[in-house]
Amino acid sequence: MKHLILGAVSALVLGAGAAIASDYPTKEIQGIIQWGAGGSTDTVMRSVTPHAEKVLGGTVVMQNMTGAVGAIALNHVAGSAADGYTLLMGAENPMLYKIMGLGDKDYGEFEPISILARGTPVLVAGPDAPFDDYAGMMDYIKANPGELRMGATGPGGLPSVITAMINTVEGELDVIAVPYDGDGPALTALQGGAIDVMPAVLGAAIEGIRAGKMKPLAIFDVAPNAKLPDAPIVTSFNAGYETFLPWGPFFGVFTPKGTPADVSAKLGDAYGQAVQNPEFLELMDNRGFTVMGISGDEAQAFLSKWQQGTAWLLHDAGLTKTSPEEFGIARPGE
Amino acid sequence: MMEALIAFLTVFTQPELLLLVGLGTFAGVYVGAIPGLSVTMAVSILISFTFAWDVYPAISLMIGIYMGGVYGGSRTAILLNIPGAPSAIATALDGYPMAKRGEAGTAIGVTTVMSFLGGFLGIGVLALAAPMVSDFALKFQPRDYMLLAILGILLVGSLSSGSLLKGIFAGALGIAVGAVGRDPLTFTKRFTFDLQIMEGGISFIAVMIGMFGVSEALLQLHHVGQPAIRQKISRIVPSLATVKKHLPLSLQTSSIGVIIGALPGTGGDIAALMAYDHAKRVTKDPEREFGDGAMEGLVAPETANNAAVGGAFIPMMTLGIPGDAVTAIMIGALFIHGLNPGPMLMIDKPDMFWFIVGALVMANIFMLIFGLTGIKLFTKIVEMPRAVLIPLIMLLSIVGAYAVNNSINDVYWMLGFGFFGYFMRHYGYPLGPVILGVILSRLLDENWRRAIISEREDLGRFFEGIVTSPLSLVLFIAVILIFVSQTPLWGWAKARVLGEQKVAPK
Repeated sequence: MKHLILGAVSALVLGAGAAIASDYPTKEIQGIIQWGAGGSTDTVMRSVTPHAEKVLGGTVVMQNMTGAVGAIALNHVAGSAADGYTLLMGAENPMLYKIMGLGDKDYGEFEPISILARGTPVLVAGPDAPFDDYAGMMDYIKANPGELRMGATGPGGLPSVITAMINTVEGELDVIAVPYDGDGPALTALQGGAIDVMPAVLGAAIEGIRAGKMKPLAIFDVAPNAKLPDAPIVTSFNAGYETFLPWGPFFGVFTPKGTPADVSAKLGDAYGQAVQNPEFLELMDNRGFTVMGISGDEAQAFLSKWQQGTAWLLHDAGLTKTSPEEFGIARPGE
Repeated sequence: MMEALIAFLTVFTQPELLLLVGLGTFAGVYVGAIPGLSVTMAVSILISFTFAWDVYPAISLMIGIYMGGVYGGSRTAILLNIPGAPSAIATALDGYPMAKRGEAGTAIGVTTVMSFLGGFLGIGVLALAAPMVSDFALKFQPRDYMLLAILGILLVGSLSSGSLLKGIFAGALGIAVGAVGRDPLTFTKRFTFDLQIMEGGISFIAVMIGMFGVSEALLQLHHVGQPAIRQKISRIVPSLATVKKHLPLSLQTSSIGVIIGALPGTGGDIAALMAYDHAKRVTKDPEREFGDGAMEGLVAPETANNAAVGGAFIPMMTLGIPGDAVTAIMIGALFIHGLNPGPMLMIDKPDMFWFIVGALVMANIFMLIFGLTGIKLFTKIVEMPRAVLIPLIMLLSIVGAYAVNNSINDVYWMLGFGFFGYFMRHYGYPLGPVILGVILSRLLDENWRRAIISEREDLGRFFEGIVTSPLSLVLFIAVILIFVSQTPLWGWAKARVLGEQKVAPK
């Protein structure tokens, strides 16, 4: 009996000890991936997490939870306990949910554990397009108003942001925007000739470009990309883009607000080390992603800046449902 | 050429890979047989599980699961009238009536051999004509996908036994159910009634499990006291004559499977339904009526859905474009394993292509072996007393519906559609068209909008596009012909032109 009580007491002490972060993690961590299996968010998360698990000394069970452009996964994690055992693995678009009328929560309800990597947008054309670069495309649009078919992926997606940028810098373009489910199906349609041009993340288009199935018209960045050194940068055609660039989608791991600071720090450190793993670096490099691995205040600052710039760009282009002001998103530079 | 052969034989010469393909196929048959546990889910779990492995073993296991799973869906379709996977919906239409007559063994035997045949034809096309087929698949424009979806919706006629009007109602209901939720193109809410749970849409797997599983269980409650049907399992492997007889049909339906499988955005489910419809149209005098246990009704969908596996790999291997949901995940897996799936993969790493072809061949052979063994055990399921079987069906349905998205909402939807489906059956409404509508709803909706937006919302330009493109024109004429052939006008015109006085009884 005495032993039993002693055992119970020690178990209790141990149990209480488990709440202290130095022991974290004491059980399986749930990783909720906002997008479907096989997509870029999915592949990035599934390839970085095993390296983070090694540093953490725990297991992260990853699960895809799709639907409502990622809002279902976001709401699920936002509603779970802030103990570091439920992670949200997502991309950039929740930052636009509020202004696009897609949901009432965004990463403001979360703490960034780590912003893993960001992508570079590129404007690509089909192999048979009657132009070879950005300037040629602009001339073609002027000569053939309302004829060019440009792929889109719905409000708030990368193509909508890039199109808003082009419209802001060059003045309203007379093109047809054809909506697709995602950049994968749109790039397929591009190769089949159903659309003429498509703004996409470099990683999704790079293999098609390498094989000569797509033409890179312009890279949306301020400096040439190491993966495609010959592709022209858009600022070389119009310096007006410098206001908005560099801009790109990103991937990040988040926990609900209120997670113990030492748990967040431990997770941030684990993912920070994981992104530096040579295998992961090579994987990201192959797909033209830029590895970041930032956490804490640095990540928070990155998120705020990203949200300000993108939200106001979309708002000024008339694409938002609600003004960013309503949600306290200040205009960049204010 | 020599290198290609060595890569092709890799899987046959390494016992470890052989074992993994076998293990995968075995697991796949059972995963496929349980409604709600899908191949897509199994393969995505495997990505994490095999992360640290080499690429060959990881791919071997996934291919095994894929091949086995597509086949496994037919098991519960035949035995319980509950398709284990969407691609087995058509299999249930004639498979279950066979089981009800005590011929489950024969049905499973034919299904297995025909799946094997279809699988091989699909792999053959992948190995020999992949670049050609993928070029063809790329030619499909939004308007062609739209025409394909309309062609699919015309299957309502084939899937409704009894009143066509009730069939049309069921199909329309399915299309409406498929439209619920945030519209995928503009994210506008449709039919959501401002309810949070409607926003994500209604999982079509949940609808399928409810309509087939729960409603079947409820229907069985009517005869809970009746003794179960004794299954005779004297002959499992179909005779050579049977196989020979159905060979022409299976070649046609396999071709349907390969093409539909190779098209990005359509998979084995649509292929199997289209093949079933094709069989119904070309089979002049079946030994038994379709819907009453016609052998052709098993041959067509089962060859097509397994041929679609090889088909789905065609755009994946040649272009890095997924042919269906499973190949989409496999592309992710290749990427994680340091390969760059895309148009250059075949050029940079031809050995990977031939290895996959080899693994598919092996998985297909394993499928035949596992399919033809253990049938006795499986048929015991239907011989169970109903008091045991009905709760078991309910349990499987609930677990399956929950497992799709780990969401309790899906279970509610499933139960709701189950009760609804029971009353639909009761009043003679066919359930097949509902599922058909849900499957095709998005394909039709999205591609119609894309097609008309691409033409600046100008109907004139839209029809000009249809008549000037050979592919669209062929599909358009097919739609018109099939539509007309289902109206009384057809019989009337036929009688006038051929001078026959008697219209054949339908």
